[in-house]
Amino acid sequence: MSEATITVPEGAISALIGPNGAGKTTLLRLLTGLARPTGGEVAVLGGTPRQDPAFLADIGFLAQEIPLYRRLSAADHIAIGAHLNPRWDAASARQRLQALGIPLDQAAGTLSGGQRAQLALALTLAKRPRLLLLDEPVAALDPLARRHFLGTLADAVAAGGLTVVLSSHLVADMERVCDHLILLSASRVQLCGEIDTLLAEHQVLIGPRKDTTAIEKAHTLVQAERTARQTTLLLRTNGPVIDPAFEAADVTLEELVLGYMGQNAPAAYAHLSTVGEEQ
Amino acid sequence: MTWLTWRQYRAQLYIGAAALAALAVLLLITGLQMASQYHSAITVCAANHTCGNLANTLFLGSHTVGFLVILTIGVPGLLGLFWGAPLVAGELETGTTQFAWVQTITRGRWLAVKTGWVLLAAAVWGGAVSALVTWWSGPDNALQLDAFQANRFDIQGIVPVGYALFAVALGIAAGTLIRRTLPAMAVTLGVFIAVRVVVAQVVRPHYMTAVTKIYSLVTGYIPRGSYLQLSQGVLGPHGQVFSGNITTNQPVFDGVPVNYAAAACQPLINRGNPSAASCLASHGYHGFVTYQPASRYWAFQGIETGIFVILAAALIALTATVLLRRDT
Repeated sequence: MSEATITVPEGAISALIGPNGAGKTTLLRLLTGLARPTGGEVAVLGGTPRQDPAFLADIGFLAQEIPLYRRLSAADHIAIGAHLNPRWDAASARQRLQALGIPLDQAAGTLSGGQRAQLALALTLAKRPRLLLLDEPVAALDPLARRHFLGTLADAVAAGGLTVVLSSHLVADMERVCDHLILLSASRVQLCGEIDTLLAEHQVLIGPRKDTTAIEKAHTLVQAERTARQTTLLLRTNGPVIDPAFEAADVTLEELVLGYMGQNAPAAYAHLSTVGEEQ
Repeated sequence: MTWLTWRQYRAQLYIGAAALAALAVLLLITGLQMASQYHSAITVCAANHTCGNLANTLFLGSHTVGFLVILTIGVPGLLGLFWGAPLVAGELETGTTQFAWVQTITRGRWLAVKTGWVLLAAAVWGGAVSALVTWWSGPDNALQLDAFQANRFDIQGIVPVGYALFAVALGIAAGTLIRRTLPAMAVTLGVFIAVRVVVAQVVRPHYMTAVTKIYSLVTGYIPRGSYLQLSQGVLGPHGQVFSGNITTNQPVFDGVPVNYAAAACQPLINRGNPSAASCLASHGYHGFVTYQPASRYWAFQGIETGIFVILAAALIALTATVLLRRDT
């Protein structure tokens, strides 16, 4: 990762999207303090990630591997959490698991992938962090388990006091639960903003093959696809596009993400750059 | 954190407790039998004035139990393998460090509590096994005067506590550096055995300057009690040392090949005549024995325990340094 400043809205879910190897895991691990930067500094929640209970109490992290003690039960994990965290909410964790029908007394290693992910999520939520960082938690889950997982997460955020950054490469899932998007590609922040705003700011133009210099001057070209007969442009628009030859269409999040991922140009939003919470 | 350690190590602790209880029952029963066997034999031999020969005529206990007791030399190694090696490596392997290290607890405290309790348990187990074996071996030590010998010294007194601490610390350090449990166990076993053998064979005999006693070949000399012998042999009239190291087909008297002996004594040695001793003595040959006296037994136990405790401390310091500085 090189310089990156990401601001995420408090009390919302932000999607950290990027291709494999973009640096999503590295970024999240830097924010938790599990990894240290090779150079420079990391700032989160107004401080440096550090081995300090005051900082650790505010951070929740769920690693991609969904680490749990395989031989220990959900009840054991809840008890462990109670011993290690000052703000532990055991009752809510138990309630959440019971609502999902996840047995409390069964070894975690014998639960299904979806149940393990839900257990791990319930544990991170029971810690009552201010900032919850989730590293591709749904990647290994089937669509139904994914839906349940994200539903639990959305409910927790709705209850207040929790800011979530969720990494994934599953754009469709993110679109359903996230309000905010951070697009990471080639270890750089390519795009960062409110999803609705970003979608409104971009347009796809489809038209005949012709010179588009005038359009590119007026707007910012993100990606262009030119075939023998057709030109497709993804633009970050500055006002309405006036060119009768082109048909303008709203952009989908997937098109937007793919457009920026495929782009070799320097970061369009390079000026936007703090990892932390918008206060 | 203590609770987590307890929960994680509960099964191992139960297994350890069961094994220790079984050993205790076995050693208590056979130990009591051996003690009464020894005391009645002493009473009988005292009446018959044959106690000088008791070590050659009396065998205490059974070979099987005796063998089992020797096997307790492996207890510290087992603790290192099964308690030490997985302590960090097991968590790195399954990724649970990424669970533990984002709870409201610092990595340093996580390591300190886990390491502290497991080391304490290892010391208790090593000490308990050693206490049983020491008590059980009492009559045999008195009979054979072999408490200072390798394989006896190593399973009695306080050194097993030092070995257990070292083995567990070694397992923890190896697991931290290698990050995988099985290879860490293999390395722990290899390094533990190597260090133990080198210390026991090479270093231990020289903890203190050995005592050398030069004695008359006629009267002979055996140091008192359970001493540790470094070398023994004959000194020639010109200071030559014969300590049984010379390989020869010639007849030998107490390490002296016949062709090195005084000419006048050679026929006696060839014939195996016991008066060869007085003949050699009259020609300026002396016996010598270099040894660590029995009175130094506890000093040696203390020194050896200290060495292993210091090694254990160094390994824990290394583990902490690596773990606190490294990214997971």
